Amino acid sequence: MNFENRVENFAITILNHRIKVVFSSIILIMLISSGIRFLETPSGYRGFVQDDFKYYQDILELEEKYGNIDVLTYVIKPNKGDIFQKDVLKLIDELTEASWQTPYSSRVSSIANHQFTEVDGDDISIDNFIINVDELSEENLSNLRELAKKEDSIVNFVMSESTNVGLININLEMPEDIAFKKPIDFAWKQKMIFEEKYPEIFVGVAGSAQFSHNFQSVAESDASKMYPGFLLLIIILTYLLLRSVMSSLIALLVIIFSILPSLGSAGWLGFEAQPPLIAAPIIILTISLAHAIHMLSIALTNMNEGMSKNDAIIDSLKINFTPIFLTSFTTGVGIAGLNFGDIPAYSEMANTVAVGAAFGFILSITLLPALFSLLPIKSNYKESVMLFYLKNLALLIYKFKERFVIIISLICIYVFSLLPNLYFDDYFGSYFDRVPEWVEVKDIVDPEFGSSFFTFADIETNEPNGITNPEYLNKLDEFENWLVQQESVADVSTVSDVVKNLHKNMNGGLEEYYKIPDNKALIAQYFLMYEFSVPYGMDLKNQMTADKSSSRMLIRTNYSTAIETVAFNKEVNLWIENNLKPFRTKGVAGIPIMMPHLFTENTNGLLLGLLFSFSFIILVVGLSLRSLRYGIISVVPNVVPFILGFGILTLFTDMVTASHQVAVLISIGLVVDATIHFLSKYQKAISMKLEANEAIQYCFKYVGYPIIIASICLFSGFIFLTQSLFFNNFVIGGMCAIIIIIALLIDLLLLPALLLIFGKKA
Amino acid sequence: MKNVILALIILISTKLSIAENLEEKGFNIAKSSYESGRGFTDMISDQLMILIDPKGNKVTREISAKSLENLDPNDGDKTITYFETPKDVEGTVMLSHTHINEDDDQWLYLPALTRVKRISSSNKSGSFMGSEVAFEDFSAGDYRKYKWKYIGEEVYEGDLCYVLESYPIYENSGYTRRVGLTDELLRARKIDFYDRKGELLKTVFFENYNLYEDKIWMADSMKVENHQNKNATIFQWQNRKLNVGLDKKEFEKSSLMRLAD
Repeated sequence: MNFENRVENFAITILNHRIKVVFSSIILIMLISSGIRFLETPSGYRGFVQDDFKYYQDILELEEKYGNIDVLTYVIKPNKGDIFQKDVLKLIDELTEASWQTPYSSRVSSIANHQFTEVDGDDISIDNFIINVDELSEENLSNLRELAKKEDSIVNFVMSESTNVGLININLEMPEDIAFKKPIDFAWKQKMIFEEKYPEIFVGVAGSAQFSHNFQSVAESDASKMYPGFLLLIIILTYLLLRSVMSSLIALLVIIFSILPSLGSAGWLGFEAQPPLIAAPIIILTISLAHAIHMLSIALTNMNEGMSKNDAIIDSLKINFTPIFLTSFTTGVGIAGLNFGDIPAYSEMANTVAVGAAFGFILSITLLPALFSLLPIKSNYKESVMLFYLKNLALLIYKFKERFVIIISLICIYVFSLLPNLYFDDYFGSYFDRVPEWVEVKDIVDPEFGSSFFTFADIETNEPNGITNPEYLNKLDEFENWLVQQESVADVSTVSDVVKNLHKNMNGGLEEYYKIPDNKALIAQYFLMYEFSVPYGMDLKNQMTADKSSSRMLIRTNYSTAIETVAFNKEVNLWIENNLKPFRTKGVAGIPIMMPHLFTENTNGLLLGLLFSFSFIILVVGLSLRSLRYGIISVVPNVVPFILGFGILTLFTDMVTASHQVAVLISIGLVVDATIHFLSKYQKAISMKLEANEAIQYCFKYVGYPIIIASICLFSGFIFLTQSLFFNNFVIGGMCAIIIIIALLIDLLLLPALLLIFGKKA
Repeated sequence: MKNVILALIILISTKLSIAENLEEKGFNIAKSSYESGRGFTDMISDQLMILIDPKGNKVTREISAKSLENLDPNDGDKTITYFETPKDVEGTVMLSHTHINEDDDQWLYLPALTRVKRISSSNKSGSFMGSEVAFEDFSAGDYRKYKWKYIGEEVYEGDLCYVLESYPIYENSGYTRRVGLTDELLRARKIDFYDRKGELLKTVFFENYNLYEDKIWMADSMKVENHQNKNATIFQWQNRKLNVGLDKKEFEKSSLMRLAD
């Protein structure tokens, strides 16, 4: 029994048990889909890295010693003037006070509660920097401004150098596995309250807590805003294509039933609903839609030609079984290449799509024919006018086949010459550039402070009380002085600053004493004194260990790209190696260090993934065509769209990010589908002893239309993805859309011309 | 109708009077508890402070102290603290004159600087020497620093205890509320501290009570567990002696100044 007969028997069995098939598949799908409730809320940037990622481990180690690194920041900027106005200081003072109520907060620091020391001989008084705002005169305000500018721990930490922007930093001690929703919701409520009370002053929410929360809020808002619209578009599109309400309903059911259980499986597997996962349903939808269109359009055509409903769908299954299987398979394999990367969120998205592709295939050959046979369907299917144009196109290509190949080759060569300009990099500062609230705050913070992120360095002495050693503090100072000269660094704060300040204050407040004293005992006594005169939440516990064997540097970091960060980190390590002895450190750690490294390593992994997916797919296509010649020809339409796609990218940017690679891995399996359909039909035509030009006509007639339709579906799916608030999704959507359209053009223009020149003649 | 209003008024007034009674009752227990610890005239002791991090690493600090009881009901005691370890702070001395609801006076002698510094800070709710104890906790039993409320009774470690809720009067306090257990011998046994956002911050356990001078119960161990950062601190009093006849002049700034000469 040959393969076609087996498929036919299979189809007949399905139709004989159609009610059982429908019910059992619905029950099974409901069961699997119920896993959706286990989809985990994204844990922000922490969910974006693998637990054993070196740069994340560095952060965890740091947190074990000094507490959680996450900060929630209020950004305060008056519409006019700087922060030294009564209203602004009053707002900062009140909001600082209110900030103690933030869930999970452990400390709050702002210019208002900054501990300011006044010295009068041997009398030292320590108080909040801002007190009795109501009684401040203009003169007081300008005095405060001058004083604030001189305080190292104010400038660049709670106030910008220009004095135009004030910050309130709230350290959060988050319990494990809890997202930032509570503190963020609290902060946004405060923002509303204070902006209403002080309409002339802008209050924004920033910091790593907001950054982390963006992952969750973006995923949620994307899902609720994008999906309904996209579903509607698909319903309209299906109806326009099939002109049959019942057929559209079947297509819709197959689509939804492919998406739900794949998300359910994601839930059962414990995946997180990170923003990249948002793309999964859209990709699954387009694949299943393409399957359904292929199946239904042929079945409806058959019915038009007089076949019975059951015979029509059996015939359609016979024709479509192999291409549907192959396209599902290549899509799954292509996207599975993402598992070579280092970002779990992308692997999880890929695996969800792969599962969806499998469901799409299974349902298209079981549920779809069963439903088609069960439901009352009348065919109003008309051959599209498009066929007429396609026929003319085929003639045109036949006439000018050499010119087509030469022109497209020239374009390719030109574009190819642009590609060396491209370079791999990433810029984590841009992730949420499509979230207006985030950008609004970013545009204020970044020019004034570099970014709202901090980097840290844990400097160890290996002996208890070692940090009171003047040699150690001088070394910190040396390190700090070197760091502030680096482009990635905006400012640095260390415990040596605390000592210098104390030394000054204990010596009548004279500037000349703003230095590290050369006496270990004295420094130890300064710390002792400092330690019993500080208010709640302002102690040095987040800066030094209890046994005073190590201290933590706080580095305010500018946004920089992955390349810049990796280079910066290398230089830091080099400096440490050459200069830090006898003290030790593991180097700098923090979000601005981790994210760029994550993407650098991810890029390397993805390149391997690309190699895997490309070679695997080309092999599969070659094998399925059972011909080296066609295997080689097939490489052209599968590679050229990517070259041209990246050529178009150079018009916008030369930076190739991980997102662009992800786009390639997503689209490779989709691009190849059309080639498979076209080449298999061409082979069939040749075996039917058709002349080359007739063979091309045959291909255009039978697969031209479905290829165009499938491409339009995919294209619109990816255009929808560009509406995502997650910048990476926007890039992926845009890139995939471009590649899909180019692939369509190549399949319709270049591939036929190539076949005419290099294909076997009948 | 008239009867209904009357009934309501009676109901509300009894409710109010109960509330008042609970506050009074709480205040009275707190006051008696505080007073039962008075009458020591003066006191000397050595103290061990053990800091324990979440991993179990320990750091020990040694202090010795002298205190002078102040019989003025409107003012606080005077204490001198001598810091002994780590070695670098040996010889550092702190004199403080505590006050009830105003800033304490504090003088510090730093031997490496050979000077006495007067330090006034309006805000001492922070960690004491990196421990889980705040400066304000040392006067945790002073009834005059809190508003009180009697909540009920509870058995703790086999002893019947009064449950008292207290709210700091001190404006810059790090706490919003405390819930404490005081036993029938009027000894504080355990206090839960709630932070500024109303969440449980830490629990202080008073242990190892000894009867001094046949009349005063004093806890010779105080264990603090921070529930948020998972650190702990143990305070231990050793060689505690009451009524030793200390010279009052020792507790004046001038005696500290003599160290600097």
